[in-house]
Amino acid sequence: MLTGFARAFKTPDLRKKLLFTLGILVLFRLGATIPVPGVDYTNVNQCIKEAGGNGGLFGMINMFSGGALLQLTIFALGIMPYITASIILQLLTVVIPRLEALKKEGQSGTAKITQYTRYLTLALAVLQGTGLVATAQSGTLFRTCQVGNQIVPDTSIFRTAVMVITMTSGTVMIMWLGELITDRGIGNGMSILMFTSIAAGFPGSLWGIKQAGKILDGWGEFSLVILVGLAMVCLVVFVEQAQRRVPVQYAKRMIGRRSYGGTSTYIPLKVNQAGVIPVIFASSLLYIPALVVQFSGNTTAGWAQWISTNLTKGDHPMYLTLYFLLIVFFAFFYVAISFNPEEVADNMKKYGGFIPGIRAGRPTAEYLGYVLNRITWPGSLYLGLIALVPTVAIALFNGSQNFPFGGTSILIIVGVGLETVKQIESQLQQRNYEGFLR
Amino acid sequence: MVIGFSIALIVFSLLLMLLVLMHKGKGGGLSDMFGGGMQSSVGGSSVAERNLDRITVIVGLLWAVAVVGLALVIKFQK
Repeated sequence: MLTGFARAFKTPDLRKKLLFTLGILVLFRLGATIPVPGVDYTNVNQCIKEAGGNGGLFGMINMFSGGALLQLTIFALGIMPYITASIILQLLTVVIPRLEALKKEGQSGTAKITQYTRYLTLALAVLQGTGLVATAQSGTLFRTCQVGNQIVPDTSIFRTAVMVITMTSGTVMIMWLGELITDRGIGNGMSILMFTSIAAGFPGSLWGIKQAGKILDGWGEFSLVILVGLAMVCLVVFVEQAQRRVPVQYAKRMIGRRSYGGTSTYIPLKVNQAGVIPVIFASSLLYIPALVVQFSGNTTAGWAQWISTNLTKGDHPMYLTLYFLLIVFFAFFYVAISFNPEEVADNMKKYGGFIPGIRAGRPTAEYLGYVLNRITWPGSLYLGLIALVPTVAIALFNGSQNFPFGGTSILIIVGVGLETVKQIESQLQQRNYEGFLR
Repeated sequence: MVIGFSIALIVFSLLLMLLVLMHKGKGGGLSDMFGGGMQSSVGGSSVAERNLDRITVIVGLLWAVAVVGLALVIKFQK
């Protein structure tokens, strides 16, 4: 394992890429600590200390931004606008025929969709930035804090505009950093940035658990949480790697004097084909009602009361059930839009491939659909259960909200980690070295 | 002083957004982000793109300086 890493650094090409990625990450974390001009840094810090790092409604977004959101730094919005924009466009491709046509067009169409995503990111960043600055000014960002309404001392329109513009350009900057990593570094930039943000929150919240713990001066809880986390990582890696291999036989063809095909391969159908996307979809969707209440300012109306009792707290049965159901639904939904059995069957027919025992064409598509459907059931249930773990842990151990190995964060960390390691490995193998996964 | 820095910050921010949006987007969105499994084979970037990179880096640095400068100016004015 370690020699594998050493080898990765000895390869000049790969070393350059790794160092470039690390450099960008340093810049990213640095930007996440510079406060936006106009924010009273001492007041913010005091409020964060009082709130105990538990942002309530903003908890999830705060986690995605690596704690930068509540500190109101220039990278406060993090990659959330980009993720939201991607989700919106992904959903719209199903609805709007023009986008679907673009997607089918291949590379140039995808490039155009990416461009739309970037524009949408900018718009969303302006929206979310304005919302964040407004809540900070009115003092609702930290409700319980004494100096909560003095976070932004100067509330003139000009100063507000400067703050919003700074945050927006910070978000755009993050987008560019992510693209730079994708382009010249290793792995997918956006997901690596998200990985970094989430991982950056781990030491702090682990230490928080140690501080709050009672067994053995807190070390008891500390090690317990680490053990549970490790076990969960193992489980997640196990399921992420699990796949059903549908055998495919290719007919032998003679073209000229050479013979092609005649090989037998397989179509890998992953148990969790959709990855973390359902979890992200579900939590973003469930976040919307609470956001509506927050911005309507009308917290006494009947519907607002109902939402804030049932849908904002992560430990309410209603919220849990909805969350679970949404995750299962989105797992199926995403598999349905990302893997098209008919297309695969058609392609196989074109190149003379068939699944042994099943006729080419429609029966093959039906068979693939059947297998995919059955394999997605355990996959989606597993996703839902994993995402519920932190809440259950809170209920069982009476633990704090900032349980660091929450389902979403672990899924993202493991998913991104596996993907990146695989990429490094394939780069290593191009040079005939054995990689570090054995 | 504060006004000057603020205006500089606004100008640099707008420039930065414009420059970044002028880049060709890399990365294929959501499915690529979380386990799409495809290796993107992108060739080297063009000369225009490289010049754009250079300008973006310079503007980014100026933007960072403006941010820190404005924060300091506001702090010492109090």
